[in-house]
Amino acid sequence: MRMINFAKRNFKELVRDPLSLIFEIALPLFLLFIFQQINIPGDTFKIENFTPGIIIFGFSFITLFTSTLVAKDRGSSLLIRLGTSPMKSRDYILGYILSLIPIIIIQDSLFFIVACLLGLNVSINIIFTILISILVSIIFIAFGILLGSLVSEKASGGVGSIIVQLVCFTSGMYFSKDLIGNVFAKICEFLPFESALNIIKGVLNNNYDIISLRNIIIFIAYTIIILILSIIVFKKKMVSDNK
Amino acid sequence: MDSIVTKKLIKKFKEKTAVNGIDLNIKQGELFALLGTNGAGKTTTIKMLSGLILPTSGEILIEGMDMKKDMFKIKEILNVSPQETAIAPNLTVKENLEFMAGVYQIKDKETKINELIKQFKLEDVLNKRAKTLSGGWQRKVSIAISLINNPKILFLDEPTLGLDVIARKELWEVLNSLKGKITIILITHYMEEAESLSDRIGIMVNGNIVDIGTAQELINKTKSKNFEDAFVSIATGGEL
Ligand SMILES: Nc1ncnc2c1ncn2[C@@H]1O[C@H](COP(=O)(O)OP(=O)(O)OP(=O)(O)O)[C@@H](O)[C@H]1O
Ligand SMILES: [Mg+2]
Repeated sequence: MRMINFAKRNFKELVRDPLSLIFEIALPLFLLFIFQQINIPGDTFKIENFTPGIIIFGFSFITLFTSTLVAKDRGSSLLIRLGTSPMKSRDYILGYILSLIPIIIIQDSLFFIVACLLGLNVSINIIFTILISILVSIIFIAFGILLGSLVSEKASGGVGSIIVQLVCFTSGMYFSKDLIGNVFAKICEFLPFESALNIIKGVLNNNYDIISLRNIIIFIAYTIIILILSIIVFKKKMVSDNK
Repeated sequence: MDSIVTKKLIKKFKEKTAVNGIDLNIKQGELFALLGTNGAGKTTTIKMLSGLILPTSGEILIEGMDMKKDMFKIKEILNVSPQETAIAPNLTVKENLEFMAGVYQIKDKETKINELIKQFKLEDVLNKRAKTLSGGWQRKVSIAISLINNPKILFLDEPTLGLDVIARKELWEVLNSLKGKITIILITHYMEEAESLSDRIGIMVNGNIVDIGTAQELINKTKSKNFEDAFVSIATGGEL
């Protein structure tokens, strides 16, 4: 199948860039480890709450490197060549998304191995969390495709790091949004990152009460909208870049 | 049946008219060289013929199929070696060939890949990442890839640019061996290449094909000493 063939190539292209592995895997692991060494009061940094934060943090780098890959492909003649092949839009989009799923699973697995070594309870919930996190990751991948379709390879790193920052500040992985004030709390509520984190936290801790209906609606709405946008914009750019 | 037919093919980029109503009839198995000055519209023409960009107006028929209706069927039977080298940088040469074989869903891909490796003498670079190869080698790989689907129609946009003399001669051999079997559109700035390889030559100026004929016909018509003079005479409207 064309999309799997394309996904294979994308996967190789991604994992052969050592920088992407450092940021997607080594940096989050380092943070996970380091924050367990310091005793910070409050619940945020307890391993069962912080590990989900680290997962989302790792996903934000998935956005960054997806956008770089897409922007790089657009900038090279490779997409011109593929543009004259029988590949269709869905082959491209699904090919990009599929190529990142193994990386998501590798990330999750390594994060959980280290988290368990650091004291996280080993339970079946970890498997559920990995499964749900694959769904959650789709929005981060779609964000990457969208950004990569809009900006050049050079700009993609900078723009991608905005997502990294947004995740740090609005997901609640480091601090509760209520600490900062009303307006900020509202912004967090209407961005998808807090919802994403709550969903993963809820599943990992078998505590579905913390996942509000608003979380679910916001998250699904964003996923659908960003996914559709990324398809439309990529398709448009694919044609206009080649003009 | 003609392999490629265009009727009043036009491409405008905003105000700029890159291709200005060309009518082409290229026979099956013909090697047609497309010459012209920089910016004449050659690359734009083959981008339309290969389904990469849509014409502003006009018709394209490939092997009897209408580009508007059967674009994906048409794309299965053609291939392009773009003006700029087009390969996946982090894949090895072998992986590049395998990847493109997958893009075209080639049935017996090992056989085809091995054939191309032999044809283009790629044995020594097979396991090197594409981005670590020299420009000329990247180009060879890029050209080899364009044969992966046994295309019925092959578009080559300045294929020998950046190749050393030996590599160029080798590519000519490959093209000669394909001659008569598949339709080839060759864009080139090398007069001797057009003259020695092609059946007919079209000369493009400012978005129009101003003359078409065999090299000898064009020489006779312009009363020139050689083909290069004939080209200059046609491309400048007799001013030089
Ligand atoms: N995407 C685009 N947007 C605007 N103008 C374009 C675009 N692509 C090509 N053109 C213009 O169309 C004209 C024809 O360009 P084209 O690339 O087809 O020329 P060419 O004959 O291949 O030239 P060369 O020998 O230099 O490769 C040029 O004036 C070029 O600037
Ligand atoms: Mg050109």
